[in-house]
Amino acid sequence: MNLLEVHDLSKKYPNFELKQINFNIPAGKIIGLIGVNGAGKSTILKSILNLVPFETGSIQMFGKEFRDNEVFCKQQLGVVLGGVDFYKEKKLRDITKVTKTFYGNWDQIAFEKYSKMFNLDENKKVKELSFGMRVKYSIAVALSHQAKLLIFDEPTSGLDPVSRDELLEIFLQIVKKGDTSILFSTHITSDLEKSADEIIYIKDGELIKAAPKEEFIESFQYLKDDTDKNDLTLDDIMVRMEGKHYEF
Amino acid sequence: MNFKLLNKEFRLAAHPNLYIFSLMGPLLLVPAYPYTILFLFSCIGNYVNLMYSRETNDIYFTEMLPIKRSDVVKAKWQVLLISQAFMILFSIPFALIHGQVFKTNNVAGIDANVAYYGFGLMILGIFNVFFLTEFFKTAYKAGIAFLMGIIPASLIAIAVEVLVHFPNFAWLDSISGSDQLKQLPILVIGIIFYALMMWVAYKVSIKRFAKVNL
Repeated sequence: MNLLEVHDLSKKYPNFELKQINFNIPAGKIIGLIGVNGAGKSTILKSILNLVPFETGSIQMFGKEFRDNEVFCKQQLGVVLGGVDFYKEKKLRDITKVTKTFYGNWDQIAFEKYSKMFNLDENKKVKELSFGMRVKYSIAVALSHQAKLLIFDEPTSGLDPVSRDELLEIFLQIVKKGDTSILFSTHITSDLEKSADEIIYIKDGELIKAAPKEEFIESFQYLKDDTDKNDLTLDDIMVRMEGKHYEF
Repeated sequence: MNFKLLNKEFRLAAHPNLYIFSLMGPLLLVPAYPYTILFLFSCIGNYVNLMYSRETNDIYFTEMLPIKRSDVVKAKWQVLLISQAFMILFSIPFALIHGQVFKTNNVAGIDANVAYYGFGLMILGIFNVFFLTEFFKTAYKAGIAFLMGIIPASLIAIAVEVLVHFPNFAWLDSISGSDQLKQLPILVIGIIFYALMMWVAYKVSIKRFAKVNL
């Protein structure tokens, strides 16, 4: 079963356009959305979440049209937007107290378990937490209302290598049961090598390729030249697809 | 009313100034004072509150909760309504005390009488309709939204304060029982005007917010 289906998603800005994006997120998978800065990754995620209205296309989540079933879909959705902090002056405890009232299936015992696991101090204010801890708090909240789909916008880009590795490990644990999926955008290709099952590549607002990781890497090997002894990595693929030549 | 959203508004999103500016009722005990300022204070409180919401990314947070997009507007609309209803109800005892204590007219402007509350509702109504609809054009530009609202609101306030100095309109400034009975239609018009403006503010803000790229 697909948890998310994006059909022909298009959105026009004065200087940028998302062009007919199509992809599916099956259950139990980690899907990486890659592309350079400004490629349209965040716009796609925001369109899925109805944060930016789109002109054409449809977003089906858990088998229902998202825009017509916002409350139902969001009950089973966990979201972390990169670089957006809420209520910096508030304690985590106060934010949790309010947040949990909105979720019918809030599991307080699970929340306490994740808080302990992530070493979250509920008496700390948001501004006192590092970026990594804020991401972990959001994950704890998402998991405590039994979210089936987790959407993260560049969750790893502000993290040190240890926290990044830890976070990817958490991702793998989350999807292990097979009913939850994670869609996350990143421009750090090593994240994908470790955790992603499938990769969606966005360039200038267009979806270039969406495929399982191995197939994805394989399909870009045509970019190899005579100097390449080994197969191209994801990093090489992105650099060759996007690379510009400057002359000064 | 959505109580979960209101709980979020008052426990997480609200700025302390909203409460302070809603508690200005005791100013009605100042012997000579332009009392319409009380309503303008409420406008300032709501402006600071919305600006604070923007700074704390409250709109994003709310939009992520399992609610409809239009409920983001509804939450802010409810805060306007509740803070202003509270501000008015809280000030009434002070208006009554004022009536008992001061036997002479308020020389600065209108007295705290029935007409005063009628005009006050007009001031709040006109502020809300411009302020809320302008803010939800972007969900970001609170300053320009405040200016759009406070200018017409202040003009009404100034007009009222000036009007009562003319001998023909002395009955508007009176706190005698018979004059206040005569002022009753102004209160009724004020209530209808406020309700109408709030309805327009709600509908237009929802329409505008639906087009905003967050």
